[in-house]
Amino acid sequence: MTIKRLLIFAPLVLSIILLQSYFWVPTYEQQTRGNPDRLTTYVTASTGDASLLNPILSADSASSEIAAQVFEGLIDRDENLQFRGRVAAGWKIYAEAYFYVSPHMPPAGIDTADPQAVADLIRSAKTSKAPMDPQLRTTLDRISDITVLPPHGFTATRKAMDGRTPSTTPDIHFTVAAPARIKLRLNEVDQNLFDRLQHLLGDTYFKSFESNRFLQSDLPLPADRLAAYAHDILPATEQNPVIVFHLRPGVQFHDGHLLEADDVRFTYAAIMDPSNLSPRTSDYEPVKTVEVIDPLTVRIVYKRLYSPAIGTWQMGILPEHLLNREALRQEALARGLDPESFSVRDSNFNRRPVGCGPFRFREWQSDQYITLDRFEEYWEGPPNYRTFAYRIIPNVLTQEMEFYAGTVDSYSVQPFQVARLRDDPRFQNFSGLAFGYTYIGYNMRREPFNDWRVRLALGMAIDVDKIIAYVLHGQGERITGPFPKQTDFYDNTILPVPYDPQGALQLLEEAGWKRNAQGWLEKNGRRLSFTLITNSGNDIRKSILTIAQDAWKQIGIDVSTDLLEWSVFIQERVNKLDFDAIVLGWSMGIDPDLYQIWHSSQTNPNQLNFVAFKNQAADDLIIKIRQEYNHQKQVADSHRLHAIIAEEQPYTFLYVGKWTAVLDKRIVIKTIDTEGQTVFERIRPTQTGNFMFYFNKWIKLPDVPVFNAEG
Amino acid sequence: MIAFIGRSFVQKIITLFFVSVVSFLIIHLAPGEPSQVDPMNPKFTPEMVERFRRQFHLDKPLHKQYLLFYKELFTGKTVSWKDNQSVLKKIWERFLNSLPLFLVGTVLTWTLSFPVGIHAAIRRGSLFDQGSTFVAYFLISIPGFFFAYLLIILVVTHFQVPVIGMRTFGMGAASPVHMVMDRIWHLLLPSILGATGGIAVLSRYVRSQMLEVEGQDYIRTARAKGLPPDEVHYRHALRNALLPFVTMFGLILPGLIGGSVIIESIFSWPGMGRMAYEAILARDYPVILTVNFISAVLVLIGTFISDLLYMVVDPRIRL
Repeated sequence: MTIKRLLIFAPLVLSIILLQSYFWVPTYEQQTRGNPDRLTTYVTASTGDASLLNPILSADSASSEIAAQVFEGLIDRDENLQFRGRVAAGWKIYAEAYFYVSPHMPPAGIDTADPQAVADLIRSAKTSKAPMDPQLRTTLDRISDITVLPPHGFTATRKAMDGRTPSTTPDIHFTVAAPARIKLRLNEVDQNLFDRLQHLLGDTYFKSFESNRFLQSDLPLPADRLAAYAHDILPATEQNPVIVFHLRPGVQFHDGHLLEADDVRFTYAAIMDPSNLSPRTSDYEPVKTVEVIDPLTVRIVYKRLYSPAIGTWQMGILPEHLLNREALRQEALARGLDPESFSVRDSNFNRRPVGCGPFRFREWQSDQYITLDRFEEYWEGPPNYRTFAYRIIPNVLTQEMEFYAGTVDSYSVQPFQVARLRDDPRFQNFSGLAFGYTYIGYNMRREPFNDWRVRLALGMAIDVDKIIAYVLHGQGERITGPFPKQTDFYDNTILPVPYDPQGALQLLEEAGWKRNAQGWLEKNGRRLSFTLITNSGNDIRKSILTIAQDAWKQIGIDVSTDLLEWSVFIQERVNKLDFDAIVLGWSMGIDPDLYQIWHSSQTNPNQLNFVAFKNQAADDLIIKIRQEYNHQKQVADSHRLHAIIAEEQPYTFLYVGKWTAVLDKRIVIKTIDTEGQTVFERIRPTQTGNFMFYFNKWIKLPDVPVFNAEG
Repeated sequence: MIAFIGRSFVQKIITLFFVSVVSFLIIHLAPGEPSQVDPMNPKFTPEMVERFRRQFHLDKPLHKQYLLFYKELFTGKTVSWKDNQSVLKKIWERFLNSLPLFLVGTVLTWTLSFPVGIHAAIRRGSLFDQGSTFVAYFLISIPGFFFAYLLIILVVTHFQVPVIGMRTFGMGAASPVHMVMDRIWHLLLPSILGATGGIAVLSRYVRSQMLEVEGQDYIRTARAKGLPPDEVHYRHALRNALLPFVTMFGLILPGLIGGSVIIESIFSWPGMGRMAYEAILARDYPVILTVNFISAVLVLIGTFISDLLYMVVDPRIRL
């Protein structure tokens, strides 16, 4: 019976063909030990694939991780999170300040409004030995040069601001006859410059400059609108911070082309080019000009004081010669696309990038792996590893299996596995705090959250230490304020809210909430009840939701909870400000600028201060911090801001998560000392926990090394 | 026949149009925004979000977006929002990756379920029948991802060989035979897992079909006239029992594009299902809609083929 035989033999033959393939596959042993290349290859795994390997376009972590190896910025952060030069060998920050000299109003103390006389007044004050306000003295000491710019006329064009759509609004042309201006060069940025100068020139000297007297518009405008335009076109005072970067000579791109100042300017221009849709434009909006002084010097002038701007130059530098207009046009023509609409975003460069970082791009197999080779001409010397492999393994369990098998070198441990893997003698482990925190936020527009006592009491009723111990398996630390805990902006002297339900009840009583016969808290006959919400799909937040609900019920608060799908949660509740209390988290950068999350101007729908935290002192500090270029002063102001927020308790700050990574024990740091001897050291994390900091010095040894006791 | 084909074609075009409208609406009306216009990122200013929306035509009314999307799709210009790659090219690459998985899985399903089902039907009530019933229900009930984990842990810890991905990572220079065998090995586990559910269901189905046919009068007649049992089972019974499976054959076509999200994610297989799933999470509308449209086309072609096949094999419905 052929059919019968076929039915039996077909599956049999198929199974044999499939199963015998087992004998041809290299075992893990052969892959990890029998393969000498394995020791010079670092393999890491990620759950997601990269999208665009271009630092100016990507916002996802996989692309950024690869871009960080392929590209290099002008600066980066060192072990202590301070800036250090990379492509830039050094940099200098100073400022240029300008003010118009009003011909109609002489400054205090002299009777002429002649610009030379005003300049001389400042000059003589600067050299004068007479006692004066010490703050004014410091400011004057910062001024290194004073020049008078003669009056000049120019024309300016502005859009009419009358609420119509931008495309239909007419342009207004202004004829400006600007008066003389004095230019001050300061050797460091001083956000109080003009306030202090007013001690010298008269208390309202700058305010009384009437810019509307110096311009005329071609369209008739009401006086207040004209004044608004005038203020914009002829600001009485202006301070432009300037950063001059001196590039390291001889830095090469992976194709051998030298990196020069033009590449820096091009990178900036590419970010700002609207057709590239870079998600980073807001970082560079304060830039006024980027000038190439010579091939190794770039001068960046800012429109206004904005200290987070320095950090933006960690952006990887793009090679201009591969991405300029002409190169893009060639590529578009070669691929048969329209050269007019072809932008950097469309270029194949994003799939095979060329940068000047320690590793050069080799291959990208979508959803499988990305491999990089070390760049032999890297300015700091090539890394020890020859190959960097980035495997995409979407499933965490399979990542773990591959790590045990030795085909992935590092593994990010899940909180519940930490206790087990930390003591595993096969691996070395590192842990540190995340940049970010989880909190319960209260909608302060609503009763009863507009009373700080209620917010504080709600925080006191929750035992956060238990959440950390049981929900996070101990993998978290308490946090008391809005700054990342490992930076010095965070004030470690501020104590967390204690767990004290009795104290909470007392506070609530002070606020007018008393327990009724059934044990619920009541005020004016209204029960204290609200809804606590968070997004679904995050088990930790879900647990916090339950724990908080239970803790609050115990002191007589009627809390209901709700889990919402992420996009519904964000769009319908958070963005529309329709919530009582939420459990949510922020991930943070290192910079202490908190404007978007905490400034009172950011409390509208779709903005990030959705809890409506409004505090004048905090607003002032937030502005002061983002305008301050001196790290120590920023730290002092940040501590003050931290204290205010900790006191106001707009959030109940819960915890910052802790990460743990395990690494093959055979991976060590290899350096050559001054006598030419090879030295092996154990991998050491920086103070902030970053164990990858010395990655370029890592190498894998054939056997687990034994270090001396002091090692 | 020609009239049937013509009528069916027109019907399918109309269905396709409605499918395209409904899927477009569902995706656009569902809450959530593409990750490029994520409002929770403090670095995203409203102007930037606006610019992205304009670039992606999200600022236009829905019917215009619909026309624009399908115009771009039919001219092959659709690009993914995630990486600006051509969607059709991406789908084609992933399709080629998913294809072997699908083929091996399907062949396994169909070659294994028939012998098991037929044997169980012939030896009804035997130990084999009961055993295969138990195993079939066990395989239907066990969650695929759990079974996958068990298998991976077993194979990795006991046999010390890699099972993740389409081929062994970092194999370097090896002979072509090794390369091919390595590929086959990596196909084995995911396709077994992909096939288990199918084998379990299909073998039960074969069994019940066979039992039904075996009870027919003509089988009794065949047996009564003294034909050997194999002849009765495999010639007379099996042929008639096969009829319903002809329709099923057309319906596996859409499985080509669906792939299996879970299996592909667990095994790091760069296939269609995983791409579609990730596109849904990132609200990458062009990818979601294109995959959706192609699978709708395949479903319609599949039903069309099974209609035709049925007409060919079963003279009773040839009207």
